[in-house]
Amino acid sequence: MANPVLVNNIDHKNVKIDTRRSAELGDNVWFTLTFPDEFRAVQTHYPIFFQKDPNTGEFFPVALFGFAQNENLFLDENGWDAGYVPLFVQRQPFTIGTQMQTIDGQSQENRVLTMDMDHPRVNEEHGEPLFLEFGGNSDYLERIAGMMETLHLGNEQNKDFIACLNELELLEAVNVDVQLNDGSKHQMVGFYTINEEKLDQLPDDKLAGLVKSKYLFFIHMVLASQTNISHLLKRKNRQLGL
Amino acid sequence: MVSEINKVVIVGGGTAGWITAGILAAKLNTPQQKLIDISVIESPDIPAIGVGEGTWPTMRDTLKSMGINEGEFLSQCDASFKQGSKFIGWLNGEANDAYYHPFSLPTKFHEINLAPYWYEHKSTHNFASTVCHQPAICEQNLAPKQITAPQYAFAANYGYHLDAGKFAPFIRNHCTERLGVDHISDEVTAIKSHPNRAIESVVTKRHGTVKGDLFIDCSGLHGLLIDKHFEVPFNSVKQYLFNDSALAMQVPYSDEDSPILSTTNATAQDCGWIWDIGLQSRRGVGHVFSSAHADVSQVERNLRQYLAQSVGTKVSESLEFRQLSINPGYRQQLWVENCVAVGLSAGFVEPLEASAIALIELSAKYIASQFPQNPSHMAIIARRFNKKFEQRWHQVVEFLKLHYVLSNRRDSDYWQDACSAETQPESLKEKLQLWQHQAPYHFDSEHTEELFPAASNQFIYYGMMAETNFAMPTKQTQYAHQLFDDNQQLSQKLVAAMPSNRELLNKIRQHGLAKI
Repeated sequence: MANPVLVNNIDHKNVKIDTRRSAELGDNVWFTLTFPDEFRAVQTHYPIFFQKDPNTGEFFPVALFGFAQNENLFLDENGWDAGYVPLFVQRQPFTIGTQMQTIDGQSQENRVLTMDMDHPRVNEEHGEPLFLEFGGNSDYLERIAGMMETLHLGNEQNKDFIACLNELELLEAVNVDVQLNDGSKHQMVGFYTINEEKLDQLPDDKLAGLVKSKYLFFIHMVLASQTNISHLLKRKNRQLGL
Repeated sequence: MVSEINKVVIVGGGTAGWITAGILAAKLNTPQQKLIDISVIESPDIPAIGVGEGTWPTMRDTLKSMGINEGEFLSQCDASFKQGSKFIGWLNGEANDAYYHPFSLPTKFHEINLAPYWYEHKSTHNFASTVCHQPAICEQNLAPKQITAPQYAFAANYGYHLDAGKFAPFIRNHCTERLGVDHISDEVTAIKSHPNRAIESVVTKRHGTVKGDLFIDCSGLHGLLIDKHFEVPFNSVKQYLFNDSALAMQVPYSDEDSPILSTTNATAQDCGWIWDIGLQSRRGVGHVFSSAHADVSQVERNLRQYLAQSVGTKVSESLEFRQLSINPGYRQQLWVENCVAVGLSAGFVEPLEASAIALIELSAKYIASQFPQNPSHMAIIARRFNKKFEQRWHQVVEFLKLHYVLSNRRDSDYWQDACSAETQPESLKEKLQLWQHQAPYHFDSEHTEELFPAASNQFIYYGMMAETNFAMPTKQTQYAHQLFDDNQQLSQKLVAAMPSNRELLNKIRQHGLAKI
């Protein structure tokens, strides 16, 4: 279970974050959350699909790293074999927490940086320190703070993007079928993608709206990313010596 | 060819009027083209009676066909999932006397009749849980689906429990805003007819004369057209189903996390039975009874005693009730000339299997799919409609009566009368004889599109522990036993995976349900 605590320079003055990439440090995930502003970088390496949040039923976009739970085909003994690691992976072990604060008698909710103390990356020997000798923020922590702001905006962006896709009924369920070189077949269910037929049939005014909001660009990134399935397959075959 | 029937006037709003309008509009018109003009004249002064807070699974298809968002429907109508009925105390009234009539069919029902294979194990295994995965879910107040399932999709078949007072306005808004139905808020004061008695128009207080080609009487117990104008005689079924009154209450939950029932619970009493329905924000509980067998004070006592078990004596004693009367039966003719009765104007029987709203849907779907083109076409449709729905009403009566006649209760005059041979339709007696030799199944039906599937007969018949003398060799024992094991595993899996009704409904309020 996660054990999130508010990051501060007293309790955590000696804490370091191990930023190496490995299964032991929690990188053995087969997909991660992503968001439109990240699609351009993500689609270079990974297929982008949509999934439903098991707790809310709401859609969110994911970058796919493997074909089964705990399978990340980009991990090897040298770390993560790709030029870009999605931010929702990079941010580990940090999360955004909320804290109620009273300013001028008005209570308001503030976003704060929290950290999972039980995460294997958290230690006092290896990696990036959070704080400088006299308690100042390290560059690393500043970078993380900036990243968390980006992720927060990414979550907001997802909400609007998904609402638009729902409104235009542009999502469809897809079964991802892959066949390995030894003939064995794998099917992944619970994934959704853009319905190209519906996209083609959108009336001009709706299309114009999508261009203006830049969503059409994001939609095309999602569609283009799917050729990466074959790259994933190649990695899987190689890993199995097929 | 151009249709000569292009203006439908529905007299009466309420559940019947608006469901009928919605089904017709969705089937006959498209957003681009309005072929048939549909109006609903709804009296602003007559409150809807709000019969039936339970639906069949058919309602999912009805709502979907109208283009209604299921999440919005559930949240705005205070609705919950109904996965069937639970009958408590019907066999002998002792502790543990309960059985389920779930909406999901027995497993592989169209491939194999499992009843004979179950029968050998009946002393240790109840029928419904052995052949169907749904009772296990219902027993734990669990939902029939997860939040990730698309709207109207399910892991276990379901209909709804709903607040009729919210449902009718909800459908009305959808009909007027999305489906192009005209809403005339007014009162009908007179009816003008053609020389052949067919209705030419209805006169309203403020909107003048409203002409139509087809009139649908959804005016409820008033029967403005079918009764007051056409004077069609009423076919009473009180000799079979003598419950003629009900006391109804709205019961608060003890707290906001109280479980919401997965089924309509029907608990037998000495002079009738009590329904218990869980909506999101409250329960609807009522006592159906025969006024010839009990007076109101006795029924009120039963009802308060029943409620005290769940909400305590103090709350139970403080609740107010509403008395309703039921005249069990239906019109001898439902479609006369250019007028067809749908809803309470057509008929009503005690809500033991929630047939009221289901019959509205079936009637409206029939009218929509067999929509008459001209008066001579209409005469044929009318004749066929009457035949079909007379059969259906009879099927309802027969099926409801089945719930009583298998009882071993003889603890009151009521139960003695309910079980006596004189109060049973002949057709039911024949079926009961048939089932002594063979299990209820598809082939014993004499009609196509049976209102209640053979599975329902099985669930009631064997739920009530009735007997069959199986003489046929049972060749597929191994396969049947495998299906029983599979069903048990599926039941366990679903119990582990499904959220509670309360949890899912709360999530739907917050996040809605996706279309895909």
